[in-house]
Parts: sequence; structure tokens; C-alpha cells
Amino acid sequence: MININGLTFRYVGANADALTDINLRIPDGDFVGIIGPSGAGKTTLTRAINGLVPHHYKGDYYGEVLVDGKDTLKHTPDQLAVSVGSVFQDIESQLVSEIVEDEVLFGLENFSVSSGEIESQMEWALNAAGIPGLRNREIRSLSGGQKQKVAIASIIALRPKIIVLDEPTGELDPLASRRIFETLRELNTQFGVTVVVVEQKIMLLCEFARRLAVLSSVGLAIEGSVTDVLRHIDVLEATGVNIPRVATLAGLLRKKSLFFGEPPINVLGAKAMIENCLRGENTCLD
Amino acid sequence: MGGLLDYLPGESIIHRLNPLVKLILSFGLCVSCFLSDSIIFVLSVIVINILLSMMARVFARTLLVFLSLIKFSTLLFIIQILCVRQGEILLNLPLGLYITDKGLMFSLLFISRLIAAAMPLSLTLSVTRVVDIANVLVSKLRLPYKYAFALTAAIRFIPLFSSEMAGIMEAQTARGVDFETKNFLKKIRLLLPLCAPLLISSVRKVEGSAISAELRGFNLRGGSSGYKQYPFKAVDYSALCLCAALVVVSVML
Repeated sequence: MININGLTFRYVGANADALTDINLRIPDGDFVGIIGPSGAGKTTLTRAINGLVPHHYKGDYYGEVLVDGKDTLKHTPDQLAVSVGSVFQDIESQLVSEIVEDEVLFGLENFSVSSGEIESQMEWALNAAGIPGLRNREIRSLSGGQKQKVAIASIIALRPKIIVLDEPTGELDPLASRRIFETLRELNTQFGVTVVVVEQKIMLLCEFARRLAVLSSVGLAIEGSVTDVLRHIDVLEATGVNIPRVATLAGLLRKKSLFFGEPPINVLGAKAMIENCLRGENTCLD
Repeated sequence: MGGLLDYLPGESIIHRLNPLVKLILSFGLCVSCFLSDSIIFVLSVIVINILLSMMARVFARTLLVFLSLIKFSTLLFIIQILCVRQGEILLNLPLGLYITDKGLMFSLLFISRLIAAAMPLSLTLSVTRVVDIANVLVSKLRLPYKYAFALTAAIRFIPLFSSEMAGIMEAQTARGVDFETKNFLKKIRLLLPLCAPLLISSVRKVEGSAISAELRGFNLRGGSSGYKQYPFKAVDYSALCLCAALVVVSVML
């Protein structure tokens, strides 16, 4: 469970708040996507969850962030690491070893997991991340998508309840990005890991996330289930996020009173929506 | 990377030796050729190096190392042989230079020592993963983990930095900078301004790495939390005995 109450943060030397009065509650087992224009504070929000703000990145900090019941102000990032694992956009710099096995071992050894458990936890993590065959491979010989999965495996090996990802597919092609999200969905549905992910590829995010939180430069613009958020095209437009075209289309049809159902999240859904409109069916009226 | 110090995977008896034993062996080989004044002994150390590399099936690599050491030593040999003025003159050269018997023997011993002492290091790194060396230094020699981590991180970052530099140079080449120039000074002048972006992006990468390590409990690590164990086996003890014998022989000769 993540509880963010009235969080406002300003980096040292900055002349504007990175986050303004954010209130957000993420229950256990949720899959939340965070979107927003650049500069809206998405990365800062992830740093506030894993404790890098305010322990590593200093600044004026107001409000409270409770992660798994722990106040991030009173617990250091490594104390929080047992509850929350973090994956970053820069694939290369977050890996510290040469061999996949050593990368996964790194965190397990640091947390003094007993030798008996290390083997089973490592196997579980590699399987859950979908890379059981890469255990003895050299990291530099892997593709970008595989490296990002190694990063995810090395985080989930520590069995965190929450995993926070800051643009994990930023350096990946569409197919590899989708694979990463499939892995996240597995983690979320099969193992109950709470997933919080900042992502620019909104279409992809809408397909996998259960809820969306939209940040704007003045705070949290809107938050709710994916379809709820996509219904508020005007709010999304005002924040300046890249809205999926199928959602824009649904918005236009709604304005013309042609469609009142749930906005589609992919092209197939849009096709069904258009077919319904052409038939004059408004079966999913609110 | 095709460097001469990279790890070459294998399953030979040399690969399977304890990393610490391999370090001690290579150190023993180095020390023994400086303890002995006999050129025959030093040459036999070179032969031992070559035999070990054949056992480890990395002979091709050792040959390359050997040849590059020979090239380098030839230069030192020439300088050395002309500098020693004592002993009987064997050959008179122009400009008042000459070669003496003492100079010849001294220079030969000097370069053989150099070659014999440099080869074990390359051999050890060819047959041992750096992470194993770091782990064993932590578990057996009680080296603080931070230093061992710095060692492995530094090795990991070398290819990252070189690809970063290649990226910056490509970007500049695309804007018309010609790095292919044969003029050494001009090349230096073109490369110098690239140091700042390289430094900045490298520092950023290192910081990212540090944060990622911290978030995985780097600061919580104790000295005894290593998962991999490196027990000494019979073959390790025999290798150590052979090494000790070699050092004793070197003192006697």
C-alpha cells in the first residue's frame, strides 16, 4: 500500500515545485500507470516512493509518503528497498555485474539472504522475469529488452511488495516494450506485486494498467481507472499528455452524442465502437 | 572487447583452481624471477608460463601477449645494452657506442625477467573472472567489499565509457569533424573538447549505478554475505606447494 498525503517537493536550487500537493493512494496488488507531460514530476514521484527523495535528492519536502506503512522520511532508501524495488530507464547504468547470475545475486547477498534461500529466490526471479535461460550469460551480450528484464529480475529477487519503474521501455522497440509489460502483468496477477510505472507509450500503458494517474505541472490532474481517465479528454488535453487517438475519437463521438460507452483502449475496440455507432446501437449507455 | 586481459571461459584444471591460488601462483612466478640471477631459471619460468597456458587452453592468447612483450622488450633491450659500459667489449659501434659481455648478459636477464613477470598476470586474468577475484579477496583476505566492488565496477565501466566516447565521436563526425586525420597534434586538438561531454555523461552513468546499487542494499552488506564459496581443494594445495618449491629454488639459484 502506498499512501501519498499532500506531498509537495522542490529540489534544492529550483525555482518551482517538482510536485505540488499530491494525494494518491495505491492499494496492494494494483497496477498503476503514471503519465504526464515532461517536467510534471513523474520521475520525482517515483523517487518519493523509493525514498531517493528526500534522502538522496535534497530539497523542501512537505507532506507524507507511507510505503508499506513506513514513512519514507524516517526510513532510508535501503531500508525501504525490502518493500519497494526500483527499475530505471537507463538500462546500462543500473546493472552492476558482468554475468546475469551475479546481477541477481548482488541484492540477495547485500540483504544477507541465507545460502539455502538464495538459490530458490534466484530461480523464481529469473522465471518470473521470463529469462530462465539467461542465467550464465554475459550481460553485455544481451539485447536491450533482455537487459531490462535482468534489471527487473534482480529487483524482484528481493521479493518487494511494490515495484516502481521509471520509463522502463524508454530505450526499447515496440515489441520489446510489450514483452516488458507482459512480464509486469505476470508479476502483478500471478504474484500480487503492486506495479507503479511511469510510461510515455500511453496506448501500451492503457492496455496493461488498471488505473492511471495523470500529473500536470500544477499537481495531480486526474486519477482513476483507465477507462474513467480516458473519458476526460478535456482534462488530458489541458495537461498536454499524448492522448491515444482511439480515445480522442471516442471523445469526439461522445460530443456528437453518438457514443456513450467505455472509451476503447486499442484499435480493435475502436473498430467495434465505430461499428456500433454505424448500426445506431448505443447499447452501453451510461 | 578483444583486449589481452579479458576472461576466456573454459573448464581446464587451471580455470578450476581457486582464484586466490591463481593470484598467489602468479605472484610467486613474478617474485621468483626477480630472486634468481640465473638466466636459465628465468627462461624456464617463461616456459612454465607457456606450459600453464597450454594446460588452460589459452595458448593463442599467451602467444599474442608473448609477442607483444617481445616487441616492447626489444626497445628496452637496445637502450639497456648500449647503456652498460662495463665488461669486455664484444662489438664496437659508431658514435662511441659499444656492446660489452656484461651488458649483453644483463640486458638479456632484464628483458627475460620483464617477460616472465608480465606473463602470469595476463594468464591469471585470462582464466579467472574478475568478480571471482573480487569475491575471494573479500572472503579470504577480508578486503572491504567496497574496494572489491570498485574493482569490478571499474572493469565493467571500461566498455561502457568506450562506447560512450564512440557515440560522441560519431555525433561529431556527422557534423563534419574529421577524426581520421593523420596529424597527431590535430587529432588531440579535436579530441580534447570531447572530454567534457564524456566526463559529464560518465559521471551521470556512475551516479545511476550508485543509486541502483544503494537501492539494492549496497550499504547493508556485511563481510560474510558472499553466496559463492571458494574452498581450497587438494589440487589447490599441490599448486601452492609447487609455487613454494619454485620460490625456494629461485633463492638457491
